[in-house]
Amino acid sequence: MAKIMIINGSPRAPKSNSKRYAELFAKACPAETEYFAVRKTNHLALCCAMQEVSDVLLVFPLYADGIPVTLMRFLDTLAQNTPQHPVRISVMINCGFLEPEQNDIAVKMLRLYCRQNGFASGSVLQIGSGEAILSTPFRILVRAKIKRLAAAMLAGQERTWKVTMPLSKGLFLKASTRYWVSYGKRNGVTKEQMATMQIEG
Amino acid sequence: MKLILSDTPLRLPEIDRASVEWIDLSALNITNCVGCFGCWTKTPGKCVIRDDAVRVYPRIAASSHVLYVSRIQYGSYGTTMKTMLERAIPVQQAFIRLWHGETHHVQRRVVPKQAVIVAYGDLSEESKEIFQQLIARNAHNMSFETYRVVFATQDKLEQTVENEVQAWQKS
Repeated sequence: MAKIMIINGSPRAPKSNSKRYAELFAKACPAETEYFAVRKTNHLALCCAMQEVSDVLLVFPLYADGIPVTLMRFLDTLAQNTPQHPVRISVMINCGFLEPEQNDIAVKMLRLYCRQNGFASGSVLQIGSGEAILSTPFRILVRAKIKRLAAAMLAGQERTWKVTMPLSKGLFLKASTRYWVSYGKRNGVTKEQMATMQIEG
Repeated sequence: MKLILSDTPLRLPEIDRASVEWIDLSALNITNCVGCFGCWTKTPGKCVIRDDAVRVYPRIAASSHVLYVSRIQYGSYGTTMKTMLERAIPVQQAFIRLWHGETHHVQRRVVPKQAVIVAYGDLSEESKEIFQQLIARNAHNMSFETYRVVFATQDKLEQTVENEVQAWQKS
């Protein structure tokens, strides 16, 4: 079985949820995988490593409704250093919102990038509530979809799945508020302080 | 306040500097957002990276009219504009609200905006279509009350921006 190259495009790669998603994929995938994180200084090294594989999985969070600039800068380098052989690019994207559809536009951007630069588009998993879902019992839903993503990639398919917490929007708002209040508390910041309307300057 | 944010130097002789602020991002030192959530959970409303971005996002928040001039690539903002927009998240809270039926971050004191986005670069039909969809999504997350996207070829970029600024000044 061919090796799959996993590229984490999160700006906070070492501590990112994307890293956790990548680890779940590596566990679920029957084929060998190799994990890389995008850093400012390793773009060309990643392009070189891509010469050895035919399948790549990009794992990243939605940033400002699109692809994080950390990953975009790597994609710029890759466009100038495309592999000598066909490579298929699959995507696992997560956003903190309940609706995985909020990832749609970033996926469209990547598909266009692939067409413009000679890559084949592979399968896609769009994750909603991605900041927190792995810390809930609903992680089992994510694991199941990741398993299907891995199988589709190995079969060379172009399929799309979406997964999120099966909560009403009202319940999600309450759960996400609890999540962020707890996050602030760990830094000694109260809910009221986090909810300030003040912006510096 | 009216704000022009461009990712490239422009010659704009007709600007009334008293009412219009113009920031050329290409002349600033702005590093990538590192996704630390510090501006939400450690120093709310304030980015922990103290580079030039910290004097830009308060101007974005305070402006009622914005004109963004950006390269477009595969339907996305170019990296210079995108870097700044990612660094502007201190204007939002971590907390989520329902907005137009979807979950979005609560905005801090952000003035509702009339936005014009002038895009140049990859003007293929697909790129333009994706970019239009992107701006429609931005409208929810960046407090655009109204927005308009104008595509311009590189040679007509300055004239296009100048026309938009003149329209502001007449309104």
